[in-house]
Amino acid sequence: MSSSFGKASDIEAASKAAVASAASGGVQVTNFTELVDEVTIHFQIIRLAKQIYVWIGSESAKLGNLYAAAPTRPNNTVSVTSILGGASDNTGSGIARRLVLKTGLNIIVACNIPKNNPMLEANAEKKLIEKLITLGYSRPKSRSPGPELSSS
Amino acid sequence: MGGLEQRFPVPFKNFSVQIKGNNTDLVICRYDDHFLVMATQIGTMGTILHARKEEGVAVEPTFNVSVIFGKRDEPMLLAITRQLIEHISSSGSSMPLVISLGLKDHSMETLKGIVSAVVENRLW
Repeated sequence: MSSSFGKASDIEAASKAAVASAASGGVQVTNFTELVDEVTIHFQIIRLAKQIYVWIGSESAKLGNLYAAAPTRPNNTVSVTSILGGASDNTGSGIARRLVLKTGLNIIVACNIPKNNPMLEANAEKKLIEKLITLGYSRPKSRSPGPELSSS
Repeated sequence: MGGLEQRFPVPFKNFSVQIKGNNTDLVICRYDDHFLVMATQIGTMGTILHARKEEGVAVEPTFNVSVIFGKRDEPMLLAITRQLIEHISSSGSSMPLVISLGLKDHSMETLKGIVSAVVENRLW
């Protein structure tokens, strides 16, 4: 029922809200921006009860390539698949995989960082994981056999 | 507050509604090239769908709606997605939509509840 004028201020308010972290019901949204290797990287983490969605963007706020990853029985392995875009490169699929290892949850990653820059990808992932730990989304390290994060 | 006032580039809304007695969490985000809508009653994103307006020569726009992850046999999910992409298009935007629906039931009432909750809080 809002007029078009009201819509513009709606989007404005939504932009301002985006700076902070917001929770409503079972969903927590955390947005932050970091300088990684002199590149501005934006992170958006949406925490649902049994799943986490992450968007990683740089320069522009395009959605990027979407990957789904989940723990897979047996053997604590991880399955990853591309579900939108990402046909020619895999920037982001490694991040999705390691997020599952770190959190034990189903993960959806939307990744829009520059391709062919493995250092940037690794450092962006590092910032992301640090934030997940701070937010309490990672699970306690249990020394079980199977794939583990490489220390870095 | 001086210094580097950096506004996060993705506007979003995060809210909850009751639909048919089920608590439904919704998130709506506006990226540069997509809208993202998440509606969940089950704690996960559920089925993910993609919808876009087709560039064609016909006067009336046509839309492509498809499931990209999850249930491919639930037409109500496609119906919700189609209603929303049509609304986006008639509001003047050509951006595609990515929508996730994790719903407990797939009744008409739920469809209407989701569509109206999203439209009321739209970012287009």
